[in-house]
Amino acid sequence: MEFWKDETEPIKAFLALFEAAAADPELFEGLKKVNQLIWFDYTESGPNCSFYIDCRGGELKYSAGKPADTPDLVMSLSADDAHRSWSDKLNPVMAITRKKIRVKGSATGLLKLAPKLKKVAAIYMKVLKDLGWEDKIIK
Amino acid sequence: MKGNTGKIVNVDLTASQVMVETLPEEYYRKYIGGSGLAAKLFWERGDIKADPLSPEAMLLFMNGPFAGLRLSGASRNSVAGCSPLTGHWGDSSCGGFFAPELRYAGFDGLILTGKAAKPSLLLIVDDKITFEDAGDYWGKGTEEVTQALKTKYGKDYRTLVIGPAAEHLVRYTMILNDGHHATGRAGFGAVMGAKNLKAIVIKATKKEMVLADQAAFDVLRKDLNVRIKEAVASNVLHENGTAANLMGGVYSGDVPVKNWTSNFWEESADALTGSTLTDNYLTRRGACAYCGIACKRYVEVKDGPFAIPDGPGPEYETIVAFGTLIGSIDLAATCKAGRICNDLGLDSISAGGTIAWAMEAFERGDLTLEDTGGIALTWGDMDTVIDRILPIISRREGKLGDLLADGSVAAAKKIGKGLDYTVHCKGLEAPMHDPRGGGHGMALTYAMSPRGACHVADPMLFVEMGARYYPEIGFDFMLEPKTGENKAEAAVMAVALGAIENSACFCQFADAEVTIPDWLVLFNTVAGYGWKAEDMMAAGRRVFFLKRLINYRYGLTSADDCLTPRMLEPGKDGEADGSQVDLAPMKARFYELMDIDPVSGIPTPAAMAALDMADEAKQVG
Repeated sequence: MEFWKDETEPIKAFLALFEAAAADPELFEGLKKVNQLIWFDYTESGPNCSFYIDCRGGELKYSAGKPADTPDLVMSLSADDAHRSWSDKLNPVMAITRKKIRVKGSATGLLKLAPKLKKVAAIYMKVLKDLGWEDKIIK
Repeated sequence: MKGNTGKIVNVDLTASQVMVETLPEEYYRKYIGGSGLAAKLFWERGDIKADPLSPEAMLLFMNGPFAGLRLSGASRNSVAGCSPLTGHWGDSSCGGFFAPELRYAGFDGLILTGKAAKPSLLLIVDDKITFEDAGDYWGKGTEEVTQALKTKYGKDYRTLVIGPAAEHLVRYTMILNDGHHATGRAGFGAVMGAKNLKAIVIKATKKEMVLADQAAFDVLRKDLNVRIKEAVASNVLHENGTAANLMGGVYSGDVPVKNWTSNFWEESADALTGSTLTDNYLTRRGACAYCGIACKRYVEVKDGPFAIPDGPGPEYETIVAFGTLIGSIDLAATCKAGRICNDLGLDSISAGGTIAWAMEAFERGDLTLEDTGGIALTWGDMDTVIDRILPIISRREGKLGDLLADGSVAAAKKIGKGLDYTVHCKGLEAPMHDPRGGGHGMALTYAMSPRGACHVADPMLFVEMGARYYPEIGFDFMLEPKTGENKAEAAVMAVALGAIENSACFCQFADAEVTIPDWLVLFNTVAGYGWKAEDMMAAGRRVFFLKRLINYRYGLTSADDCLTPRMLEPGKDGEADGSQVDLAPMKARFYELMDIDPVSGIPTPAAMAALDMADEAKQVG
């Protein structure tokens, strides 16, 4: 992996990102509108490298690993590309077209979040700094 | 001949005669079908001096080679000829159900000339073609006529119908298939109206098709149908229609506001996006023939001032044209406006664009109450748009109706004001994608498109999004939308690919999943061309060039490959704020790469010779 020491690092960073995003009223409302169970599958970077967010029913839960319920949407990519994506340095449409991101299920909910990606990226930068991982920030 | 039927029908409406003609296979091999084959036939036979609304005008309906072959997205057809809106080459693509039926009847196309003595319809039942009286249908809306025709002939008869606006020769009128699928652009409804042809009705019982390699085709067809249906974009289109990503467009600045005076209206993102249509008004989804995506909408607005019964719903273009473009974010009103446009037979893009121009003209004082017959044209006044403006346009009624019935450019010229804030290229009102937000490359392809500003003449919109990738032909661009960098290079391939799509009559949404090797297998198993990628791309470029040669005959040159001052202003508001298209260097580079003469705007003799267009080169002098 280009950005991560091991498979635990990206999940730690991404869960911290969602914890911070949930504290932002605008993003929290946006995530609730997604109303889906989404599994972010980065297992190509390690067997335990994944997490999920559950935005169903007006709540927001997130945890490491694969969800017990069948996800509405699975996004499979590498942990490095996930880092680029949350940093707003990866065009998601281009990545899907070039099979860097594989999508299974309905992506309509995520479309609602797409306009917020810049804000998510800004929060992600702060999260990385707070974790002492400023060196991972993509310039 | 394999794949194509090889036969077209020449219909002389003056003499009520038909003549079936067999075309040389070379025509298909060189120009594919659809708008490409139409261009070839128009080049040979079209009367450039003929007024498009005169009996001498030629109107062509052409299939692609895959029509009726049960492949998702591949059963569209093209309608082409001289556009009454622009006065030069025009073509318009339509999904629906006409193309397969025509193919099953044994034909690849129809060429209409002449003018019927009285309102008529053309009835095609297999190879029996008759002229029927349409007096009872004249003056009536497409919805009523479509229902009446299906009651009379049978639900499985396919219909192409024009509305009252086309009978009144409004220059941006469409032809509606089965009451839902529009041949929208360039005004060919009026050409039918001028010929006294209210409708074409078709039914075929034969399904004889001989392919070069049926078994190999079937293998790919089945695979492609699965891939197309399961693609992420298809899934999104199925769920929320062609406006599924309107929200993303709002934030990127792609969605034009108030006649392109702004690139951002945040509230419109939620109010007009496809999921809102789904949540509030969708009753069911629909599809074109054999398509697994099913992006079509049926909607019902149950109450309120814009209530409409269950029926065809608006697509992205209509939602924006009768939404932000004219200052409204009332989705119910958009649904009703779209339904009215369908019934009257108006192209919603040019109708919305022309009304938006008029609203700005009124706001500026360039149009006065005296000019409008006392109608105030106010941004977002959907009651007036629906109840007054659209009906008077469709009947050319009063000063305002007649003024707006010829489109925004003619209207501006007529009043001698407002040409600088028209939004068009070559006289065709621009679609609802603003290149200042959507991508500067699209500005280039709007300017280069033979029919005028067009987002479906080529896949540039998708290219700049990152949604096209063809490494086999070096089409491997990673583009920053809001710059001109590498846009000419991308456009060179995009215009050829677009010409292939529109000649093969393949839907741009579905064919996103078709790789270059897939395209080759399709052409080679269906028509037996034995093509390599370079042969196919050459055919695409040839079609693009031929349409430009036709326009040259109409007097168009490189000077017409331009955009209006409004389109070249810096973008305003949101992410596109300050984004300004620098067209000249992109255009110069495009000409250089395409070997197009920078003065005449047509390919050089060497460029034509390289594409086996020596005859055309001689004819153009």
